Amino acid sequence: MEKVEVSICVGSSCHLKGSRDVIEEARNQIMRFGLNDKVELKAAFCLGQCGHDGVTFKINGEIITGITKDKVASLFENTIVPLTK
Amino acid sequence: MESNTELEYGYLSINHKGEELCGDHIQTTVGEDGSTTLVLADGLGSGVVASILSTLTSSMLSRMIEGGLSIEEGARTLVKTLPIARDRGNVAYSTFTVCKIEKDYSAVIYNFDNPEPIFIRDGMEKHLNYETIEVEGKIIKKASFYFKEDDCLTIISDGAVYAGVGESLNFGWTREEISSFLTSLYSPSISAKNLASILVDHCDLLYNRRPGDDTSSLVVRRRERKRVSLLVGPATNKDDDEMMLSTFLNDDNPHIVCGGTTCSIVARYLHTDVRGGLDYIDEEIPPISHIDGIDLATEGIITLNKVLFYAKDYQDKNKCYFDWSYKEDGASRIARLLLEEATDIKFYVGCAVNPAHQDERYHISFKMKMQIIDNLALKLKELGKHIEVRYF
Repeated sequence: MEKVEVSICVGSSCHLKGSRDVIEEARNQIMRFGLNDKVELKAAFCLGQCGHDGVTFKINGEIITGITKDKVASLFENTIVPLTK
Repeated sequence: MESNTELEYGYLSINHKGEELCGDHIQTTVGEDGSTTLVLADGLGSGVVASILSTLTSSMLSRMIEGGLSIEEGARTLVKTLPIARDRGNVAYSTFTVCKIEKDYSAVIYNFDNPEPIFIRDGMEKHLNYETIEVEGKIIKKASFYFKEDDCLTIISDGAVYAGVGESLNFGWTREEISSFLTSLYSPSISAKNLASILVDHCDLLYNRRPGDDTSSLVVRRRERKRVSLLVGPATNKDDDEMMLSTFLNDDNPHIVCGGTTCSIVARYLHTDVRGGLDYIDEEIPPISHIDGIDLATEGIITLNKVLFYAKDYQDKNKCYFDWSYKEDGASRIARLLLEEATDIKFYVGCAVNPAHQDERYHISFKMKMQIIDNLALKLKELGKHIEVRYF
């Protein structure tokens, strides 16, 4: 099965809105769900969504905005984990 | 770029503990004929008086030489006129070393009571042949020499040879020890400013960070000129991107590309892609990415702002050098390329306004980006680099 591609924006604007913490949390979630072989975590540059609060994700091509550190767990539970099934 | 080598100089002083002013003074002048005159004067004692004396001495010497007086006449005049401290065993109020390097790299040095400067050639100290000149009972040492490529001269104040007295060393750091420290350290890849900084920092360490004397080091070397080109921002008019990129990529290596959108445009032009990194080496600086054919690809404004901060510090106390000299984050790597490696820097500045970045809440805007780049170019120019900025 293809890996789920999860890109997290590290552009200037997202960086200031906390990319670093969000990436760290995403890595924690991958450990928690044992998704090392199923999810490919990548960095992305500006995805053109700087107007939103929080950090922008691209999951299998779909843009998801407004992710803050405390929203990462539910993003994995509700969106990413189901895609790996 | 007419010639392939040039002079590079840099210096650093630390003050006697508790003093706000430094009793050592360094002055550098580039004459109309392309000659460079460097003076390090050390005023007797420390604090205000020492500072005034050394400033006077170095300014007078520089001005006399600038005014066309021969360096020898200048040195003689100064030694004759320097006031004598009768209560301190009849020593002159200021010691000095002056070195004038002509455009053809022939040089002459006059040393009045400072420690003997250290001249390094091919990894070894080469002792200069000094002759002695007597002026009214005082001894000036004079030597003529020549700078080959990578030759390096270090002038020090006596604070360096007293480093550690009564703290970590019984008799201070001898000139011979300083010489072996410098010869083991020096390599053509280290800038004059950084060599001076490492030496003075080591003295500071020997003093247990409580310097018992003003301590200075002035380094001058003849180095190979090196180019670096840096591209930041897409062109205002999309149609100009191609012209901007082809000019930029036509330059010699290394190439630096700053900014996410800019990286994407460059990658597309090179028919490759940007491989983003997720690792934060410095938590303040966004991770670098990789583009085949480009030496360094980084985020834009935050990274460059940090580089500007490093450039200001480099010109001043150079404290951050001990971080950026080895760290692998984008700002440290740009700092190494621009501050230490390059002598000739070309900036390609695309002036497109990133609509995403006009959010007041996050303090990043087009105006700021331009300001950061302008200030960075200005700082680098002040550091003696040859700067060319092109806007697209």
